[in-house]
Amino acid sequence: MKLNKRNKKQIFEGFRYSTLTIWLLIVAFPLFWIIGTSFKPDAEWFAWPPVYWSDTPTLSNYANVWMGKEELAVTQYAQSMQKPWKALGNSTLVAMVSTSLSVFFGAILAYGVSRYQVLTEARMFQLLMLRMVPPIVIVAPLTLHYSTLGLLDTHLGLILIYFLTTLPYAVWMTKSFIDEIPMEIEQAAEILGASKWRTIWEVVLPLARSGLVATFLFILILTWSEYLLALLLSKTEVVTLPVELSKYEGSTEGRVYGRQAALAVGITVPLIFIGIFIRKHLARGFSFGMVRR
Amino acid sequence: MAHIEFKNLRKEYGSTIAVKELNLEIADGEFLVLVGPSGCGKTTTLRMIAGFEDPTVGEIYMDGQVINDLEPRDRNIGMVFQSHALFPHKSIYDNIEFGLRMKKMPEKERRQVVKEVAELVHITALLDKRPGQLSGGESQRVALARTLVTKPSTFLLDEPLSSLDAKLRRELRAEVDRLHTQLKTTFVYVTHDQEEAMTLADRIVVMNGGIIEQQGTPMEIYSNPNSYFVADFFGSPSMNLLDGEIISKGGSAFKNDNIKVQIPEKYSGKVSGKVTLGIRPEHVKIVLDGGQVQDTIDLVEPMGKDTLLYFAAGKERPFIVIVDGLISNDFKSGQKVGLNFPEDKVFFFDGDGQRL
Repeated sequence: MKLNKRNKKQIFEGFRYSTLTIWLLIVAFPLFWIIGTSFKPDAEWFAWPPVYWSDTPTLSNYANVWMGKEELAVTQYAQSMQKPWKALGNSTLVAMVSTSLSVFFGAILAYGVSRYQVLTEARMFQLLMLRMVPPIVIVAPLTLHYSTLGLLDTHLGLILIYFLTTLPYAVWMTKSFIDEIPMEIEQAAEILGASKWRTIWEVVLPLARSGLVATFLFILILTWSEYLLALLLSKTEVVTLPVELSKYEGSTEGRVYGRQAALAVGITVPLIFIGIFIRKHLARGFSFGMVRR
Repeated sequence: MAHIEFKNLRKEYGSTIAVKELNLEIADGEFLVLVGPSGCGKTTTLRMIAGFEDPTVGEIYMDGQVINDLEPRDRNIGMVFQSHALFPHKSIYDNIEFGLRMKKMPEKERRQVVKEVAELVHITALLDKRPGQLSGGESQRVALARTLVTKPSTFLLDEPLSSLDAKLRRELRAEVDRLHTQLKTTFVYVTHDQEEAMTLADRIVVMNGGIIEQQGTPMEIYSNPNSYFVADFFGSPSMNLLDGEIISKGGSAFKNDNIKVQIPEKYSGKVSGKVTLGIRPEHVKIVLDGGQVQDTIDLVEPMGKDTLLYFAAGKERPFIVIVDGLISNDFKSGQKVGLNFPEDKVFFFDGDGQRL
């Protein structure tokens, strides 16, 4: 049977949607599992065959983790270590400040690269290569230096290292957005009397806004979920959420999966909300440059 | 108003020379058109006046002051870009107001000025729109308005009409002309369109390969081109140019495969060897009998008012004669007629393209 154009289109559509559905299931399953587990009573954490959705859902995991119901803490040690609100505060402060710094300076540097070629293509690539170094390689000497500089277990210490390690991404991403802004638009502003900074503020940044927002979210996700550096450069004071999360699975505490899941949901939700809030920019930001305008 | 002068201006980009050596004065209130093919250095020259490019060598004077080191915003210049370069995120009103805001004009006054200028270029109805909602012609008017409000001493226009269709281009060309007459400000206009240059300019500067090929009033350039390049560039249809050589058997004559013409008295002794003969299509006289040259009509192209006759004489490029549209019925393709080349309308160019 020879397929006509209409049949071909239907087959293609069918293939497209089934592929997307499978992809969605793969991506969404871990999220579903975490949310499911966060509502499971203790007995169901390890149950076999696995319980996908509890028949007797409970909020006790959330109560234990987020409201600090002491009687529910697994062990004495765990109770003393588990400070999710403090970790949330730390994470928010460190991630927001370092991401803002990274995007701000990244955009300025990217502007210089885009308009004045302050870095060659090769240098730009080297900048990114630097980021390819596994963090574990630098973290040992860094701990030593941080200790002498008094930066260990401080907000500033984490902000600094996150800012520096994400800056290459910020430069690379924002550069492509700035490249897209025609030079003539800036020159029009200049000849109408605007200073360079004024031009950047009134013309370049608003036009690159979607790109900057997309970059901001990308880097925020990186810093928000960073684990290794946070673990090794902090002790007890500046514990961030990913480090906090790991404390629910250890030799002293055992594996408190339900509590861990309740905390994990708390870590993920803010990012999802931010994503929804700025989705208009994201769609434009991530498709920037792909479509000829 | 401003008087602009270039002294030994040169601009290099690495090993590429965009402008070789430019010495030029632009008078107060003059409408100067820089014209030439792409890459001839005309836009680079304009951008050096604006301050977007620094000359490699030489000085730019404005009213007697060297302005090489002045920032674009301190030169009191207005520029209209080829792409119009409107701010896409601002309304038309905000676009026009931008320059006034930079000059720290009070808001009430700003509103008044924007209103006046919008009326001047007929865009009052567009003030609330965004650039993305405008047609090409409308956004060009907005670009003009945005430049006009700041009352610059000099207007720089970089191929402002090249992105528009033919009809709109004619309309806006007239508008630009009207603005110049009204404002009496210095205009420097860059184009590669000879027709725009001819209709707008007080003076045309023809650039080619980074140097000035010729300058003069439109009629001077048209009727007295001093090189093959200028002769070829100006006029539509362009000048008939025939390659051939001078033979001096029995009085000097120009000869190629198709035609042979006696050369005018004033050129005898001055021309020799391989040359190009040039004559404008409207200057060739057609006679039914006799004539200096006999040739066959290849094609008759009625244009309404005029009719173009294509002749076999042009091998590599068409040889065209313009005749009055009313008498076009007298001619048909395949017909043999005589052509006369009036002595004072014939030009000769040597192998280097220089006028003899």
